[in-house]
Amino acid sequence: MFFILFALREEKHGYGIMQDVEKITSGRIKLGAGTVYQSLSKLESDGLIQPTQEIERKKQYQITKIGEKILSEEIDRIRELFRITEDFK
Amino acid sequence: MSHTRTEWFSTFRYVVPADFENWMEKLAADGWNVDKIGQWSSIRMVFRKTEPKQYRYIFDIHTSTKRDYLETYRQFDWEFVGQMASCFIWRKEYTTVRPESFTDLESVEKRNRNVMNAVLVSFILFVVITIVMIAAALLSSSRMSSEETLQMILFIAFAGLFSTYLGWVVWKIFRNRER
Repeated sequence: MFFILFALREEKHGYGIMQDVEKITSGRIKLGAGTVYQSLSKLESDGLIQPTQEIERKKQYQITKIGEKILSEEIDRIRELFRITEDFK
Repeated sequence: MSHTRTEWFSTFRYVVPADFENWMEKLAADGWNVDKIGQWSSIRMVFRKTEPKQYRYIFDIHTSTKRDYLETYRQFDWEFVGQMASCFIWRKEYTTVRPESFTDLESVEKRNRNVMNAVLVSFILFVVITIVMIAAALLSSSRMSSEETLQMILFIAFAGLFSTYLGWVVWKIFRNRER
């Protein structure tokens, strides 16, 4: 969910999200169609993303204001975790 | 040698989605493939003899799909094989890495939970029917003829057996919810 929300800071369709997530994780995470569809449905019903337009039958999504707030909080949480564990070997 | 092969009640035999997928994949590897899956394929499915294929099959369920459901799968190069009620069957040919549609545990569990819940509704319905029929039989047993009693017993036995089967399906999917 985090990576999908992160990818949707810019408008994208399902396959575009998968490509973006694969790129930013250096190929470590490759999302499948079922996972992407489930996640988009959940994020949309929670009001964190919204459909923007449809290009060649491909529905485009983008993060909402609430989604940006949640994403920002999650980034702060990850930064804190990183700070706490930085010196841990 | 016959060029077709008929399988009966496949979704009733392979009740765990992953088992159904693996069964279809094994048949494809043996050169048995379906051209199209339709509403009645859960009862009767006809396979045609082809060259052995390495297909990854996906069993997905959605009671109400949004318009972009099919399109999302197609964007990922999945071939829509067909639909049985709210069950969608997809496949993709592969050579080395076996493709996945549900790529994290959360979405695998969600798919399995959706299948389990659909069966659970039928299970509850049949249990209620069985209980109601038993109660009705007990209350009106003195007024029923021997023929009516026999019919009632047969109906209760069928409803009871089917309830037990559905309960077993729910249990089996629950036990295998992580794959």
